[in-house]
Amino acid sequence: MTDPFSLAAGWLTETVLLPALYAVGGMEWEEVAFGWALFACYGVAQVAVTFAVCLPLERWRPVERWPDQKAVWVDVLYTLLSRVGVLPLVTFVLFYQLQVGLNGWLSDHGWVPPTLERLVPALLGHHLLTFFLYAVILDFSEYWRHRLSHRFGWWWALHSLHHAQRQMTFWSDDRNHLLDDLIGFAWFTAVALLIGIPPMQFPLLVLLLRFLESLSHANARLSFGWLGERLLVSPRFHRSHHGVLAAGQQSANYGAILPWWDVLFGTADFDRAYVRTGDPSAEEALATGSYVQQQWAGLRRMARMAGWTGPRQAGGFKRGH
Amino acid sequence: MRLLLAFILPLALLAPMAGPARAGGLAIVLNSGDATLSVLDMAHETELRRVPVLREPHHVALSPDGADLLVGDAGANEMLFLDPRTGDIRRRVPMADPYHLAFSPNGKWLTVTGLARNQVDVYDAATMALAKRFPLSTMPSHVTYAPDSSMAYVTLQGTNRLAAIDLRHQVVSWTAEVGATPAGVIWLNGKLLVANMGSDHFAVVDPVDGRVEQRIHTGRGAHQLFLSPDRKTLWVNNRVDGTTVALDAATLATIHSYRVPGGPDCIDFAPDGKLWITQRFIQKVGVLDPATGALQSIPVGRSPHGIFLTGAR
Ligand SMILES: [Zn+2]
Ligand SMILES: [Zn+2]
Repeated sequence: MTDPFSLAAGWLTETVLLPALYAVGGMEWEEVAFGWALFACYGVAQVAVTFAVCLPLERWRPVERWPDQKAVWVDVLYTLLSRVGVLPLVTFVLFYQLQVGLNGWLSDHGWVPPTLERLVPALLGHHLLTFFLYAVILDFSEYWRHRLSHRFGWWWALHSLHHAQRQMTFWSDDRNHLLDDLIGFAWFTAVALLIGIPPMQFPLLVLLLRFLESLSHANARLSFGWLGERLLVSPRFHRSHHGVLAAGQQSANYGAILPWWDVLFGTADFDRAYVRTGDPSAEEALATGSYVQQQWAGLRRMARMAGWTGPRQAGGFKRGH
Repeated sequence: MRLLLAFILPLALLAPMAGPARAGGLAIVLNSGDATLSVLDMAHETELRRVPVLREPHHVALSPDGADLLVGDAGANEMLFLDPRTGDIRRRVPMADPYHLAFSPNGKWLTVTGLARNQVDVYDAATMALAKRFPLSTMPSHVTYAPDSSMAYVTLQGTNRLAAIDLRHQVVSWTAEVGATPAGVIWLNGKLLVANMGSDHFAVVDPVDGRVEQRIHTGRGAHQLFLSPDRKTLWVNNRVDGTTVALDAATLATIHSYRVPGGPDCIDFAPDGKLWITQRFIQKVGVLDPATGALQSIPVGRSPHGIFLTGAR
């Protein structure tokens, strides 16, 4: 009983990646190549499963109907770039030397990054529980990264690319500014230095978590019920975060998978349901531009918000008025 | 006394029953891609159980006294101490990035390469205290020693070099360019042999100054070299071509090339003359019979890398 994803990744590595690396003189990356191939195979499965579940859902109970769906196509591109692993690979390559330097410097100073299991020895041998705890801690750290990305003007300018979409669908989850992705990678690296990187024994659970994140953006009338809404982030819950009134430096419902942190830190809003999405203060290129136009518009907006060029523009609508 | 006997007798009765299954010994395989060890029954060529470890185990080494089997879990920054007869984990020690590891022939030193941290650590094998850390650029990969334990030699994958570490004075004596992406390195007949993974050969290197004297063709992606227990045959795995090549250890002439698909990586030698080879990308361990060329593959975990046969020593 061999895992089909690993077999596919192995085949890809042996027949395509390894000969290619050999041809270009990059054989020192062969182990990384296999890791990436695995990531890409799981990514393809994620997209396929998400597509198979979410598309019928969106057809069955849409929140919004649009005359055309031109703006959705760029989100499809965002999804493929990040799930099939092109962007993570770029981020990894950009960060690799930095990470090696940082890790070496830290270990020279006696820092051996622990794992959660070594911090809490009782966890040794309880892999499912450990995985679950990692997921909770990482989701907690994601809550704060997301919340801070709304708080600081320059960071919000980048994140507003994610919010500018007025045709929000399950494809919108990976719609992010490249620089925002880089910050996310650095954020994850910092957390990993403190508690280690989660074990990869449960790729199917990772697949499920990524599926939930995509589902939360779906253009579908779907609530998990009073209790369910408070346990897991639903499309209804995350749509409130994308509402036109929530686009800005003060928002609600920052949680990615667990709404617990919003409840705990007073940023939950369970009342507003099935609102229209978008960021009225964003220039049009951020909403309907091409991939490159959106990336440029994000950088321009960041420069303005940071006060490097032109007048500092308002961060969008304030909540609670 | 009677109580003690009552305890011992059933065990004594059980022992012969447990015997036959262990006749061929165990193979311990490090599945680097899913953080497990596969324990295989060598006689029946089947998997007995899978032992979870923390993150990413790559290489294995037997302690000089034979009491411990050390497994480096690079991703978890942890060294595992296993019972070499059963594969059970007995002890865990935090350690920065233990990728490849080897004890010096005199048993005094343990050298550990940190591939992801650009460092090579030399430990006092008796106390496991860090004697010295050498920052070495980049991607220190595999390590071997001079037979008199005076020097350790480390391949640097990222910079195409071989580094020589003087263990008496704990200094780097020299580094020298040896070829594209050097990986495996061993000492043979007064020379260093370095497998250049980015090419199709291994280099014969002068251990005095690192000068390349000869290049011996084996196949694309020459990755690791192993000497048979009788020291007569040199085996080289070629990752890209998917072959394992046997060479005469004395003349370095090719004897035979065997097809071993799936990116062959580490080898250990069974007492019956067969080679147990990890096949990284197809999640198998291949059992190669050099006499017939027959290859029997056993499914294991993801990306199997290091392998150790308990019955081999
Ligand atoms: Zn947001
Ligand atoms: Zn969102």
